Amino acid sequence: MKKIVFITTVLCSLYMLVSCQEDELDLTNPNALTTDQFWATPNDAELGVNSIYAMFYKDGLWARWMNFRLDLTSDEGFSQSPWVELADWTRFNYINYNFWEGNAVTWRDTYKSIFRANQVLANVPNIEFTDQTRKKQIIAEAKFLRAFNYYYAALLWEDIPLVLEPSKPDDLPQQVSEEEVLAQAEADLNDAFADLPLAWDATQTGRPTKGAAKAMLAKIYMQQHKWDQAKTALDFLVIGEGATYSLVANFKDNFTDLNENNSESVFEIQFGDQRRGGTDEGADASVSSTRAQFFAPRGIGWSDGQARFWLVDAFKQEKTVDGNLDPRLEHTLFYPGLFEDFGDKTYGRDWEWGADEAWFRKGARDYYRDNEDYYSQVNYRLIRYADILLRYAEVLNELGMTTQAYQYVDMVRARSNMAPLAQTHPEIGNNPDLFLNRLKIERVLELAGENVRWADLKRWGDLDSQAAVDEIAERDPDFKNFKVGKNQRLPIPQVEVENNPNLSQHAEY
Amino acid sequence: MRTILHFNSMFKFLLILLVFCTQGIFAQSTTEVTGRITTPDGEPIPFVNVVVKGTNQGTSADIDGNFSIAVKSTDTLVFSYIGYATTEIIVGDKPVVNVQLKEDIATLDEIVVVGYGTQQKKDLTSAIAIVNSDQIQKRQTTTVAESLQGLASGVTVRGGGQPGQEARIEIRGLKNLQNANPLYVIDGLVTTANRDFNPNDIESIQILKDAAAAAIYGSRAANGVVIITTKKGKNGPLKINISSKISFTDVPRYDLAGQEEFVRLNNMAYDNAGIARQDLDLSVNTDWQKEVFRTGLIQDQNVSFSGGGENSSYFMSGNYFGNKGTVISTDFDRISFRVNSSGKKGVFSIGENLAFSNSKTNQIGAPEDLRGNPFIDVVRLLPTIPVYDDANPGGYGYGKSGVANTFAANPVAIANLINQNVENFRIRGNVWAEIDPFPFLKYRINFGYESSFDSYNYLRKEGSWTLNQPFEPSFTNQNKAQSQTQLLENTLTFNKDLGKHSLTVLVGTTYQKDSYEQINGTKRNLLINPNTGDYFDVLDLGNQAQVGGFRNEATLLSYLGRLEYNFDDRYLLNAVVRRDGSSRFSDANKWSSFPSVSVGWRLSNESFFNVEQISDLKLRVSYGELGSGNIGNYEYQGFINTFGAIVLGDGQTVYPSATQVRLANSELRWETLKQTNFGVDLAMFNNKLQFTADYFVARTEDVLFGFPILLSTGNDGGNPIANAATVENRGFEFNLAYNQSINKDFSFNASVNFTSLDNELVSLGNGLNESIQGNTITRAGGPVGMWYVLQTDGLFQNQTEIDSYTNSTGEVIMPGAVPGDIRFKDINDDGQITNEDKEVVGSPWPDFEMGLNLGFQYKDFDFSMNWIGSFGATVYNGFRSIVDRFDDDSNYRAGIQPWTPENPNTDFPRVVKGTTLNSRADSDRWLEDGSFAKLKYIGIGYNIPAATLEKVGFTKARISLSAQNIITITDYQGLDPEFSNNNIFQRGVDLGSFPNVQTYSLGVEFGF
Repeated sequence: MKKIVFITTVLCSLYMLVSCQEDELDLTNPNALTTDQFWATPNDAELGVNSIYAMFYKDGLWARWMNFRLDLTSDEGFSQSPWVELADWTRFNYINYNFWEGNAVTWRDTYKSIFRANQVLANVPNIEFTDQTRKKQIIAEAKFLRAFNYYYAALLWEDIPLVLEPSKPDDLPQQVSEEEVLAQAEADLNDAFADLPLAWDATQTGRPTKGAAKAMLAKIYMQQHKWDQAKTALDFLVIGEGATYSLVANFKDNFTDLNENNSESVFEIQFGDQRRGGTDEGADASVSSTRAQFFAPRGIGWSDGQARFWLVDAFKQEKTVDGNLDPRLEHTLFYPGLFEDFGDKTYGRDWEWGADEAWFRKGARDYYRDNEDYYSQVNYRLIRYADILLRYAEVLNELGMTTQAYQYVDMVRARSNMAPLAQTHPEIGNNPDLFLNRLKIERVLELAGENVRWADLKRWGDLDSQAAVDEIAERDPDFKNFKVGKNQRLPIPQVEVENNPNLSQHAEY
Repeated sequence: MRTILHFNSMFKFLLILLVFCTQGIFAQSTTEVTGRITTPDGEPIPFVNVVVKGTNQGTSADIDGNFSIAVKSTDTLVFSYIGYATTEIIVGDKPVVNVQLKEDIATLDEIVVVGYGTQQKKDLTSAIAIVNSDQIQKRQTTTVAESLQGLASGVTVRGGGQPGQEARIEIRGLKNLQNANPLYVIDGLVTTANRDFNPNDIESIQILKDAAAAAIYGSRAANGVVIITTKKGKNGPLKINISSKISFTDVPRYDLAGQEEFVRLNNMAYDNAGIARQDLDLSVNTDWQKEVFRTGLIQDQNVSFSGGGENSSYFMSGNYFGNKGTVISTDFDRISFRVNSSGKKGVFSIGENLAFSNSKTNQIGAPEDLRGNPFIDVVRLLPTIPVYDDANPGGYGYGKSGVANTFAANPVAIANLINQNVENFRIRGNVWAEIDPFPFLKYRINFGYESSFDSYNYLRKEGSWTLNQPFEPSFTNQNKAQSQTQLLENTLTFNKDLGKHSLTVLVGTTYQKDSYEQINGTKRNLLINPNTGDYFDVLDLGNQAQVGGFRNEATLLSYLGRLEYNFDDRYLLNAVVRRDGSSRFSDANKWSSFPSVSVGWRLSNESFFNVEQISDLKLRVSYGELGSGNIGNYEYQGFINTFGAIVLGDGQTVYPSATQVRLANSELRWETLKQTNFGVDLAMFNNKLQFTADYFVARTEDVLFGFPILLSTGNDGGNPIANAATVENRGFEFNLAYNQSINKDFSFNASVNFTSLDNELVSLGNGLNESIQGNTITRAGGPVGMWYVLQTDGLFQNQTEIDSYTNSTGEVIMPGAVPGDIRFKDINDDGQITNEDKEVVGSPWPDFEMGLNLGFQYKDFDFSMNWIGSFGATVYNGFRSIVDRFDDDSNYRAGIQPWTPENPNTDFPRVVKGTTLNSRADSDRWLEDGSFAKLKYIGIGYNIPAATLEKVGFTKARISLSAQNIITITDYQGLDPEFSNNNIFQRGVDLGSFPNVQTYSLGVEFGF
């Protein structure tokens, strides 16, 4: 009987032991907040909205591949990368639509940004703030950034799914037309404009201002040829309440880290080199641009992208009032005559590349080092006032106000010591077509290598007819591959189409 | 939920009490019985186990075969010893019981460890494979898994030759998509038999293959269970065993073009593209394989001490294993110790198994996907690139624009510029205690503990290994981690024979807690010691510090019960139920129950069954369900990622950011494996011939896997885990063995095992119909990871062929082609070659796999060999997809004959630089038949005769010579058709897999 008592005791204690352990199944992650613990305080809202800006630093967007989609796809740039597939995606040879670096990652990162904006827009309204202005600003920033991402997505793929709520794993969002995408972007920007400040205090520069919202609106209206609305938007920046901008004296100040967020900057991506992690979501995720590493000449950087040589010739068409070469050439390109023309070397080296080769210089750090890396801190002036002025001239011209348009082109030209346009090109007169043709060149001279050309070509209809494309192909033979009606936008990543019944591939693909 | 549980446990508890109360306590007088155990020839057999049947009471014979034991006259004594047929004798009134044991070449009475208990092999009702430890220890391997290759049906192993590389093992196919590794149970401790474990310590291995067998281990057992029992001391004086093995290893080499052939082909590719030839440096002729590969050396030194008395036993071993790899800058070292001991007093016994190991791996750093893998770099590097080049930062040669257009990395540079070391110190052990208060009842408590202290050091020196490499400062990244597993198990076993009925009931609980903790740090711009030129690689020095750390925990709590019932050795029933609770699921889904049942019918014991040749015939059927929760620890919750930051302000200040990056499914539940097994066991001709065959259907429902979700969700950081799919494996396997002693001097054995498996993904969850990964597609209704590529259809010989290659509406399909280009099939007849033309063209799954083992013994010599074979798989030759492409510069295969107008009779397209037309990665050009047969092991041994040994006081001395992986019969053109790719969907892609090394070993072994 003793044994039975003993065993019973053992079993009872055993039973107790097991019962206690059941609670141990409730484990919480010691490493991170859960989503339902977050979005509670104004500080959470600040962190959340900041995370949308952090998307600028990702591969698919402005740290890297967006430069390939815009600058290299346009007739300003091209790729001789030995990574043939990478190069193919800058010359309309789209074979595998899922190619990550050429297509899918940019798509994914675009929607990552949108997911982040949607999280802010869904959650921040429920957070209690003492500073109501700040609360409105945060929501306005999120709307600006959502619109910003939808604008570039529509530019690249046109008809895409419109996602306006925080994502769930089994979402199958509905594809809408490009017009609907842009209409949403316009609505967001108009909302954002109301609550964004005219300027931020010095610790917060880099967030969008009222001016930035109007500038984005102008870009969107112009792509749709909504000239009246575009003019209204630009009025704000040039002659209206927001006319606080001016061109910096030194053209080069737009492309180095020495005079960032200057008077010419309308919206500027803030890059830094403080963090040395990767471009993923890991610890110390970097805040840098890798454009310079990818565009630097062979032997210095990956040399995956370079400039078409016709740009060099374009700069040499017209001299300054002093009879010198257009000074913008020196800061726009590395080219064989750089030393001869300006006494300037290429990353400290003598020219060792082809006699008909040129490389993009804007954003290069050769002004203080002889190599590049993945951590360029040079801010990217995504919208600068010179672009706004040239756009204003274009809109005025489209609205039949060609005469008024001249002054804005001349402001840009004057900074580079170029004579007024009417003086050097009297043949244009009041002919809006001739004016636009000249404006196309002015935009190249001022803005080459700043990712505006692709949208320009689309807006001008230069991709809509075979004749226009043939003309471009003379400058950039990659356009021989361009199929009118097809290649003005990218194929949608095939996996998206296959797994989302609400999304179809463009018929031409 | 919780209340119900309590009720369940209470119910079990009451049941046990009831069992106690209905049993009386008997007392009977005992007498001492003695005897001698011999062979039929009268030779004494030492150390035979003598046990009173139905009790734990027992002893072992001494070295001369004598034993003595206290018994009751009604008791039955069971005599058992490995290699002899177990014999039972009723004591009766005889004071002396002399026994003759017959040699049993293949024992049916073998004791099989089945998890929380043992069974006799003849009583098994489920699919369990037993692997002889001799077979394992013959081979020179790093991990246990590798040494199981070809030895058991249904067990597929793919090894790799990298020092310290762990083999991939799959039991009965790919049943889930997370982790195909089986559960390892070493001496009752649930763990992994990774490279830290010394295979020399193995006494026996059992592989639980079907759900009914593995059910007792519940969750985590869905991939099968490998039960390892380590060696124990045996009754007798101290025995010392020393063995030493030394092996030379070599990797197979590619047959690459020499400098001259390379230059000719490279120029041709540039000429064909109309591009100026590159300015190849003809003064250089580097054989990269010679620079990177070397003869490796493995040494395996083992010593063990064992012995014991009537009530205690001990076993100690020490091992040093060193592997100098076949690739420069790779090696692996392991020191391990083990102590197993046990003691007994009356009804109480206690024991422990404890192993320590310290292993060190030095790996060649692989900074990027395609750079730093020596098996890719040696083919991508051109023969005209020098190994060293002072003009480059760091002083190593690599590609140069216009001179050697390649982005391949120089492995010599990487070996020198990156130091990467992993060190693990592991303690693994368990302590158990048993009380047998009654002959029919046993209570056991088992506490297991395992901890590994891991240390990782990475040093990046300044310098470059590839063209255009961005400048990177020197840096060191280090982490220290500890993983721990605690296991507490309580089991109660009731065992009673009542006439023809034999009943065993087991109930128990197990509790397991796993945790892992890591801290890590990085510093950049390290200091250099001016005297030695070495970097200071401690985290105190340098700048741009970065630190991190995290902690993971998981717990698992289970209740288990098993009933074994045997009627008259004819009808066998085995039923298991296990209830598992896991911290990995949300509260609503934490708990689930998994039942299984198996029955067996020993036809040969029926009175009507009277076939003399058949010594045993048993039919088995089983059905079982197993839960699996092989996912990360906190997958059902969404988290906020706080790693991001942004720059703002005129001072360019860094501000923090936070958001949800990865989506989560909150409704995750247990994945369930439902497996049905039909089996037959047959023994004939006095057990000389043994045959076991099984057919099974294993269906895994609610498979936990993160299938890609839409990119437009903006999800990043890994696909959220979902109960995503249903996978079914149907398979047939058999094992046929024959053993015979011809005479005293000569005996032989042969066995063959066969495994055939059909894998089918029944459905994909998340509303998906198919999942494309790389060049594979996984579609509902088909196997996982089928080849999905464009099909080639020969070469265009002339312009007419190009112009006349049209679709049904007359559109020229490939107008841009040039004679000598590949013709692709326009499957969808749309007049162009697009992704739409891809079709499923092959399967990476073999039709069947086989193992063949042969051995014989003649006097003091023994010989054995082991072949494995895999037939019918289509594999992707990554090597050829690099060297035969020509659009991108690399070295080429020796002896290729590309198409030229002068040489049109070839299947090799014209070579042309810069266009992917002929070199598309997504075509069937790179698919090959991956069938092979391989001589995995061949060896010969000589045992110095006992007579000679006695003079020097040895009990055993053996010399052996063996070789591994020396013959491979295959049409595959890559290095080794037996490769391992851990991507479940791309298992057939051989891109830089480390081939199995050819090993030549010499071993000596002494016992005294």
